[in-house]
Amino acid sequence: MHHLQRYLTVFLILFCFYNSGAQQANPTQVGAVKGVIRDTTHNYNLKSATVSLFKGDSTLMSYQLSNNYGEFSFKSLPLNVKMHIEISHVGYRILRKSFTIMDGKTALDLKTLIIATKENNLQDVEVRVAPITMNGDTLEFNAAAFKLDSNAVVEDLLRKIPNVTLWGDGQITVNGREVKSLLVNGKQFFGGDFKMATQNIAKNALEKVQVYRERNESNPLDSTLTVNLKLKKGKDIGYFGKIGAGYGTTKKYETDASFNMFSPKMQLGIIGASNNINKTANSIRTLTANSTFKGLNTNVEYQPDFRQSGINQPNIGGITFTYNFIEKPVYDKKSTLNANYFVQNKNNENISNAQTTTSINATDKIYDTNTSSGNTASTNQTFDSNLEFVKKNHRLNINQSMSLNNGTSNNDTQRSAFDGQNVLTSTNNTKAQNNFNNKGFNLGIRYGLSPNYMTRRAHRFSGLNANYQLSINDNDNQRSNLTTFRSFVNAAANTDYDRRYNTQRESFNQTLLLELPNLKSFLFGRKNLADFDLSLKNNLELNNNTDHNLVEDLKGSVYATNTYLSNNTKTNIVDETPELTLSKSFRKSLSNRFDKNLRIEASAKQRFIFQDNRSDKALQNINRTYNKFVPEVSINYSNYQYGEFYRSMSLSYKTNIIIPNLQQLAPLTDSTNLYNLQMGNIKLREATDKSVNFNLNHSDQTSKNTLNYNFYASAGIIDNGIVDSIFIDNQNKRTIYLTNANGNKYLNANGFLRKTFKLKTTELQLSLNGGINIAKNASYLNDVFSFSNILNTNAKLSLNYTYKDKFAAEAGQGFNTYRTEQEAFNTKYSGLNLTSSLSSIYNITKKFTLSSNISFNSSKSNSAANINFAIWNASAVYRFLKGNNAEFKFSAMDLLHQNTNIINYGGANSFTLGSQNVLQQYFMTTFSYYPRQFGKKPVKK
Amino acid sequence: MKMRSIILGYLFFCSVASAQTGKIDSSEIVTLRIDPQTARGAAVSQVFSEVEFIPLETTKESLFGNIHQLKIVDDNYVIFDYDTKAILIFSKDGKFKSKINASNIQPEKNDKNKTEFNSFTVEKENNINYIVVFAHPRAFYFDLTGKQIKKVMIKDYYKQNTSRDFKIANDSTSIRPDFKVKKGKDSTFYELGVINKTDSVGYFPYNIKRYETDEFWGSGERFYKYGVENEMFYLNYYSYNIYKVSPSKLLLAYHIIFPAANSLPNDFTTNPVYVKKRGEYFRNNPKIFYGLSNTYLVGNNLYLKMHNYGWDTGMKKALIYNLKTSELTSVQDLEPDSLSFFLPVTDASGNFYDFINNGFHMYENGYFYTNYSSLAMFTFKEQSEGKTTKYPPSLETYFKTQNKKSNPIIIKLKPKQN
Repeated sequence: MHHLQRYLTVFLILFCFYNSGAQQANPTQVGAVKGVIRDTTHNYNLKSATVSLFKGDSTLMSYQLSNNYGEFSFKSLPLNVKMHIEISHVGYRILRKSFTIMDGKTALDLKTLIIATKENNLQDVEVRVAPITMNGDTLEFNAAAFKLDSNAVVEDLLRKIPNVTLWGDGQITVNGREVKSLLVNGKQFFGGDFKMATQNIAKNALEKVQVYRERNESNPLDSTLTVNLKLKKGKDIGYFGKIGAGYGTTKKYETDASFNMFSPKMQLGIIGASNNINKTANSIRTLTANSTFKGLNTNVEYQPDFRQSGINQPNIGGITFTYNFIEKPVYDKKSTLNANYFVQNKNNENISNAQTTTSINATDKIYDTNTSSGNTASTNQTFDSNLEFVKKNHRLNINQSMSLNNGTSNNDTQRSAFDGQNVLTSTNNTKAQNNFNNKGFNLGIRYGLSPNYMTRRAHRFSGLNANYQLSINDNDNQRSNLTTFRSFVNAAANTDYDRRYNTQRESFNQTLLLELPNLKSFLFGRKNLADFDLSLKNNLELNNNTDHNLVEDLKGSVYATNTYLSNNTKTNIVDETPELTLSKSFRKSLSNRFDKNLRIEASAKQRFIFQDNRSDKALQNINRTYNKFVPEVSINYSNYQYGEFYRSMSLSYKTNIIIPNLQQLAPLTDSTNLYNLQMGNIKLREATDKSVNFNLNHSDQTSKNTLNYNFYASAGIIDNGIVDSIFIDNQNKRTIYLTNANGNKYLNANGFLRKTFKLKTTELQLSLNGGINIAKNASYLNDVFSFSNILNTNAKLSLNYTYKDKFAAEAGQGFNTYRTEQEAFNTKYSGLNLTSSLSSIYNITKKFTLSSNISFNSSKSNSAANINFAIWNASAVYRFLKGNNAEFKFSAMDLLHQNTNIINYGGANSFTLGSQNVLQQYFMTTFSYYPRQFGKKPVKK
Repeated sequence: MKMRSIILGYLFFCSVASAQTGKIDSSEIVTLRIDPQTARGAAVSQVFSEVEFIPLETTKESLFGNIHQLKIVDDNYVIFDYDTKAILIFSKDGKFKSKINASNIQPEKNDKNKTEFNSFTVEKENNINYIVVFAHPRAFYFDLTGKQIKKVMIKDYYKQNTSRDFKIANDSTSIRPDFKVKKGKDSTFYELGVINKTDSVGYFPYNIKRYETDEFWGSGERFYKYGVENEMFYLNYYSYNIYKVSPSKLLLAYHIIFPAANSLPNDFTTNPVYVKKRGEYFRNNPKIFYGLSNTYLVGNNLYLKMHNYGWDTGMKKALIYNLKTSELTSVQDLEPDSLSFFLPVTDASGNFYDFINNGFHMYENGYFYTNYSSLAMFTFKEQSEGKTTKYPPSLETYFKTQNKKSNPIIIKLKPKQN
């Protein structure tokens, strides 16, 4: 059988190449060339030799493998242009043949080309290397054969290779098939982000790009496409980085520095950044991936975020460290340690104004306005490490993370409520201050044992998976709240609070998952049992939370303990889920035709939950047990049509229960938040979510203009859903009770579609993403039961166009809608956000680049005026010094000065419109330097 | 692995009471040094004198995967297909005649397991050939129209029949693979036995427990008839020796030496470090040949195939060695010419796997038989466009009416005797 699988591998790679010559369909170019390669020493025509076709000196136009008869044939070639072919094969000297196809004779036959074998004796060192070779089942592209600018990086090389597509979102496909992992010398490179390798590593440090399929040990029919970048000897040690600083109008600034070193076994990165232009990175990898040498492309990731609310001033720093104990890891022998430290200090200033319109019954609406200003200063630190160890059948993964998060926030909110006639009924002003100090520790241990695929049948025991997770959190919070409520309807309702909170929460959570897959062979030996199989799973969760809340009110001039809100609680939850899965597989395959697989799984799952709440307050001493049968059924189908397409589908049915927590059952109601009084309901029952999920995946196996798509949908019904029952009085004060209600339903669906059209020198990529979200939510409003129907949609179409490495453009059209409807009140809110964007990059010379991205935003709603604005950012970049190491950049952001970030969203029975302070127009000049070195520095003599 | 249970089952029922352990005659040993990579190409017509492509009719009923086992019975092609677990019978010209699968069998009342076929054998009774299939615990007899004739218990079948034996010397001698000799309570097992009317000789004794204590990587059949009366080749595990079996003796005929890069270590069968680690060793040394198969002697030409773990289409693994001229020809590099209508005679030359997996199915009455898929056939046809304008009528019709998803093609080749 292993021959068959390997055959598939090679066949899949090769099948595409046989067709690769047929790609360039351009009717104005009608030239064709063909020939036969012959080895006269061995007396046969040479099969599977690599034939690379070049135009001029170095432009690789196409490549193919010689066919079964030793023949090759290229079509749709330009006329009257100097071209040459290079023929190579393991064990042979490279054969080069130049030709020009003339006007009169468009089909050129080079006849028999005799290729010479490489002599084994003599020191016959070949100086020139073939661009493409097939080495066993690995396709290799030799870097030296591609002539590129001396400052080129790996990405520039990949763009030169026919049939390799670099997508706008960073994905790479080879012959339409997605590359799942990109390695450097067989190892992940700085966390595995493709860009870290493709945009940093100098093309000159690269020996070759290898493309192969990696077999999945647990499912040998499944394999993933891997690209390995093999560095030249001695170039597997080096460093690269960036140091940059910029200053601009309105005191805008940004600085960043990163330094990355690598050696065969170790990778170390240090990075720091600070700015006040909303460039926030939430992980160290985001930062490193956006400080690459190449850097420039149309994709917008780590950019000033004009949509973020408020002005953010982040300071970020961190270290990443990777150590490979095994220098050349293979799939069944690996040992890697990763460790990262990340510190983020963030200051945010936020001002917003918004008006919310709420329907309280079929005819009446109330309004409130909300003006809020606040600032937050926080520091986050995380340290995490991960040890991966693989040896033969054992896989062990241990990861831990520690986090510290502390900071202060201040918030000032003025709310005014109006009745249906727009008469002011009440105001509520709040000043809040919050100091927080959170600590967390997580530990995860995962172990897997799987018997060797080759000797699987010799063992009865067929594996074990164990997963243990521990999470310890300690949250300290000191909060103060000053509230002034004034009613213009009933003066007696006027209230003032000055309240302080000191809350402490310690939580200790553990999860242990044990799985025994494929139990049939263990229990019944080699009996067939009509292809049924069994597996056992057990999930145990232990949660333990302790809360200490001390609440004090200012009484006269002293703070006195609020005996109602001060409280100590302890919650223990034991959540146990045993699961027995019965599965049956069907397979229908016909050699060389198709392979279809169907797998049906039914799981019997019982969930036992014991919730024990202990509190100083008698009403919160609640013990509850839940016991529910939560079955799961799934059907998986795959259809592989040789040389045509691969399609997979899955359909599953799941049950889940959602249990009410203590705060939902018996909260201590804090009266300071007058507009939003949360009440509990001791009679709440668990909600049951029954859902059906569907997934469809299609990928073309042909090489011509491949089409790939994916679709996902999930629909469910919630029985006994925990829903709000809201009472709103005439002063817009809300009291929120919870209750169980039936009838909550939802449907979520999303999908994508990608298609590529590769023309001669240009490439067009089309991708379409979309999603829809439909929900029917039950709730009570002033004792009237009603359903809200919610419909949200989003869609994005983007078109990517690349012309050689000169010009790249991405045009995108985004489309988001929302609509909510309340049946009982006959109200309807809807809105539409449209975004059209155009990003382009133009490399005027090798050193000078212009880029521009403009987005037109349009917000429409059925109840307010349309809002339109455009944001246009542009920049000019000049690279200098010999290695292009220095960069001077001038950016003009929000050129049209139109950014006024809009608030526009809908709730179940309300919608909100407003604006908030945001980043606005500025101009900035930035200077950056990119130090880089691959291989040891040559010693000066 | 399936093979092992068949062997064990067979051993259980089939034994003789006395035999002696034979000595191997190595007096006529011929040592051949073969470096496969030096093998050359040749035109198809230089190696074969006749080439015939036989498309197998594709209908809804006759559609099958590939040819796992092929036998010629009374001018019919009898095929076992692993994909559909069916035995298909086609006439000499490829016309579909009948199909035998589990649905042809009435299930027994007490049968718990689903009946499934994994191979077939041919048994001659009263001068009529029957196709016999085993579905534990019974053996079923079918005629060539696919009709079930009778069924017997497998243990009774083995008592009467010895279809695994090779009959030579006018049926007076049987060559028996996995030969069991029972002496009282003890049994001795041999890789093969030569059974004569008067006495029986066993060669290569082995311990029956060896399948549990070690790994055996088979490279295909171990016995090959090559058209010379009273002679056949025998191959042993992990060895590059070709033995010649005859009624009177076992001759070590050829000892092949391959380049070091392809050769098993000398102590491979004796050094305990390899025990139960053979698969791992082959995986780590993918170029090493773990065994031979497809050994035939036609005139002066010794045909052979080598097996290794690695998949490298550049490796030449099916060879023709001329004992007289020591000329070495590579089967995958045979060049199609007008004799084969410019179509390859095996799919080893493309990236297909029928020849790699099965080699020649047999050599019978002067012809080799192999096969390839329609996917391969149409790929070859596309590539050979313009080379020939005239196909024989059966191929012409095939190309016109069939497609890449049709049934495989049988290729019948008459090798030259030079």
